[in-house]
Amino acid sequence: MNSRAWMVISLLITCIVATFALSEVYAVTKPKILKQQVDATSTALGQVLPQAASFKEVEKDSLWYGLDHAGNKAGIVFRVAERGYGGPVPVLVGLDTTGTIVGMRVASPAEGLKETPGLGLKATEEWFTKQFLGRNAAGIVLKKDGGTLDAISGATITSRAVTRGIAHGISKYKEHLRP
Amino acid sequence: MTPERKPSRLSYLTSGIIRENPALILMIGLCPTLATTTSARDGLGMSAAAAFVLIFSNVVISLVRKFVQPSIRIPIFIIIISTFVTIIDYALQAYQPGLYRVLGVFVPLIVVNCIILGRAEAFAYGHGILDSFLDGLGNSLGFALLLTAMGAIREFFAVGTVFGRALTPAWYRTAPMLFMIFPPGAFLLIGILKALVVKLKLGKG
Repeated sequence: MNSRAWMVISLLITCIVATFALSEVYAVTKPKILKQQVDATSTALGQVLPQAASFKEVEKDSLWYGLDHAGNKAGIVFRVAERGYGGPVPVLVGLDTTGTIVGMRVASPAEGLKETPGLGLKATEEWFTKQFLGRNAAGIVLKKDGGTLDAISGATITSRAVTRGIAHGISKYKEHLRP
Repeated sequence: MTPERKPSRLSYLTSGIIRENPALILMIGLCPTLATTTSARDGLGMSAAAAFVLIFSNVVISLVRKFVQPSIRIPIFIIIISTFVTIIDYALQAYQPGLYRVLGVFVPLIVVNCIILGRAEAFAYGHGILDSFLDGLGNSLGFALLLTAMGAIREFFAVGTVFGRALTPAWYRTAPMLFMIFPPGAFLLIGILKALVVKLKLGKG
């Protein structure tokens, strides 16, 4: 066989083998990848709205209805991502049917938070997030802005991204609280 | 060939660890070295992903080297390397999603990692399967040692922990040397390590 023909054929064989190997790997890992994403979401949803037994996605990746065992609405969970210092600050918020915050979680750096370690990244810490529990739309204001929430020292922009995101989310989704 | 003149099998394994350490001595593959070593775990994770690709691509390239004409070797190397990169990319997404999100774009970028193409070109294309495996393993170990050490040192100074375990007194962890986790900390540390290597004359030659 002349060398030019072999050049084409060897490249073709390499591509066919590589494609076949990848399609096998894809077929094996695809269901696991999807399951990981679903698991991560349902764990996070359960953390912010513990009274719900199951969740129904209403708007993709941004709004879920939490349902109790009887299938009645136990509350809603929404995700907002207001602009912070290093990028969007994704926050997952669980509201019960009266519009009170029962759980909230700021995404970790592994989930895409890009705030500064030691400053804005403290938004994920419990002392900061637990202040929001039990509040309703009117209570989501930092001390600096005339409210009662402590901001993270040195990270006002991040703190405001969280409060603004939650306030916008509540006003945007409050109609969904009706049973 | 006389045994004295042929490099021993063992030296294929050990040369990549210190004497020809890819990132620290040859100074290739520095991009992931600097960017992903913000903690010991991430440095180890990055180098494990690169090790998988390096070892398998070395072995496969050595296996097919007789059939690959010199003029088309680079496209064939790239297809082989990118196949293994895609496999590790899917595997991390499926089994280590947390690590995958941290490493982000650096997993697909293993395709253009100079260490992997460099070993394919400089070693696997001209050596047998076992030797290429040992070379890949040695270089992977050298890369992993450096990345894990850098991750551990940066994590120790910037957060006060190593592999997430607190190793410093509580007062230190309230006001640690944060800059070590930022890019300047990575440049500073690789400079210090390189200076140490020169001082101790560990490198090539």
